[in-house]
Amino acid sequence: MATVEYKGHSFEVDEDGFLQKFEDWNLEWVDYVKDSEGIKELTPEHNKVIEFLQDYYKKNGIAPMVRILSKVTGFKLKHIYELFPSGPGKGACKMAGLPKPTGCV
Amino acid sequence: MAFISSGYNPDKPMEGRITDIGPRHYEEFYPAVIKKNKGQWDYHEIVKPGVLKHAALSGDVVYTVRVGGARLMSVTHVREICEIADKHCGGHLRFTTRNNVEFMVETEEALNGLIADLESRKFAGGSYKFPIGGTGACVSNIVHTQGYVHCHTPATDASGPVKAVMDEMFEYFQSMTLPAMVRISLACCLNMCGAVHCSDIGIVGIHRKPPIVEHDRLDNICEIPLAISACPTGAIKPTKVEIDGKKVNSVAVNASRCMYCGNCYTMCPAMPLASGEGDGIVLMVGGKVSNRISMPKFSKVVVAYIPNEPPRWPTLTKMIKHIVEVYAKDANKYERLGEWAERIGWEKFFELCDLEFSHHCIDDFRDPAYYTWRQSTQFKFTKHIEA
Repeated sequence: MATVEYKGHSFEVDEDGFLQKFEDWNLEWVDYVKDSEGIKELTPEHNKVIEFLQDYYKKNGIAPMVRILSKVTGFKLKHIYELFPSGPGKGACKMAGLPKPTGCV
Repeated sequence: MAFISSGYNPDKPMEGRITDIGPRHYEEFYPAVIKKNKGQWDYHEIVKPGVLKHAALSGDVVYTVRVGGARLMSVTHVREICEIADKHCGGHLRFTTRNNVEFMVETEEALNGLIADLESRKFAGGSYKFPIGGTGACVSNIVHTQGYVHCHTPATDASGPVKAVMDEMFEYFQSMTLPAMVRISLACCLNMCGAVHCSDIGIVGIHRKPPIVEHDRLDNICEIPLAISACPTGAIKPTKVEIDGKKVNSVAVNASRCMYCGNCYTMCPAMPLASGEGDGIVLMVGGKVSNRISMPKFSKVVVAYIPNEPPRWPTLTKMIKHIVEVYAKDANKYERLGEWAERIGWEKFFELCDLEFSHHCIDDFRDPAYYTWRQSTQFKFTKHIEA
């Protein structure tokens, strides 16, 4: 497993750039990931999605279904893609520090 | 090799981005005769194994030559297919839903030239590049999956066994002597990508050992509730384990409830279960998808375990050949393998095919299992019972 050094923090990541440990997450991680995810400027809308994903993960131990993400944040899937061009899984979950999505993806 | 840009700008990933354009429209690639006579076909006939003739109301005819494809193929091979199409077919060709390749020509003269060309092409190792066949009551190509070539959950290989089985079945690919078509499919795990659950003969990779739980990293890389709900038998529960004096969340697998499906590994990378000597193959028979005469059927497990024997899987290929031979001898015309087995009774199927019946074949999954048992006094005595 590779280790990323960024602004004095080190993050353990896998080959797809997902955090290996949720506890390693901090704001520097979001800043580090945003470039590779095609995001220029972090807006409050980005933060709203990231915060909700983290809350949901802490509470339930899983990432929310896309419909739940849409319903709670009020953002349609199209808008989520505008915020995170790689989509809610590869983009938003990676930035929020959640584990890599699994299954037949 | 040096980096060569396609024009994509990683600093502005959304600039000039084209999306949602879908596939090309199929009409763009029609041969002229197909385009002209679309929806106006009168009848067709199978001229000989691998060669079809379609006649249109306008009087036009089109000959189709079907050749076997390995499915997994190099660009070099695709270019050779294109070269043949350029030479004989005006640059047109198509792939079938069983991954065979079809070349179409309009005259008998062109047909003979095409066939002679196709038959002359071989790989350096000696195997046919474009064997002609796969029509009528035959064994056409094997629908198969990724195996050890690309997937992370297989219990067997795909390309290897398919080559071994098709070598054994080759005479049936190039002839039309069976009572009806025999569809063979292979899936390398119980996900059953492809058509094994509805094929005359289905080859499926299985495990025989429960997953190994990597407690040290499970909670970090898995969503535990997903792993628990992935289990069809409820064998997984959440638990806490101590690692280096620290309590971490993990899961516990009840080995006596686990039937090694591997669904939990699909959801959770910290629960691997592949094993060299444990993994192997299940043989299923009797499925079909068409509505002809009888309704579509699922295939049923008849051999619970065949070991993996790379590179030629001799036990597997021998067993399949034997089943096809017995079916070819005993079934009526138009009768698919599943229809034949149901007509003579499964106990007779096992007897005729010399298959050992084990308790593994008896369904024990939830309420529907009951409906697969025999609630009747109607059966035939077989050598299985005498023994």
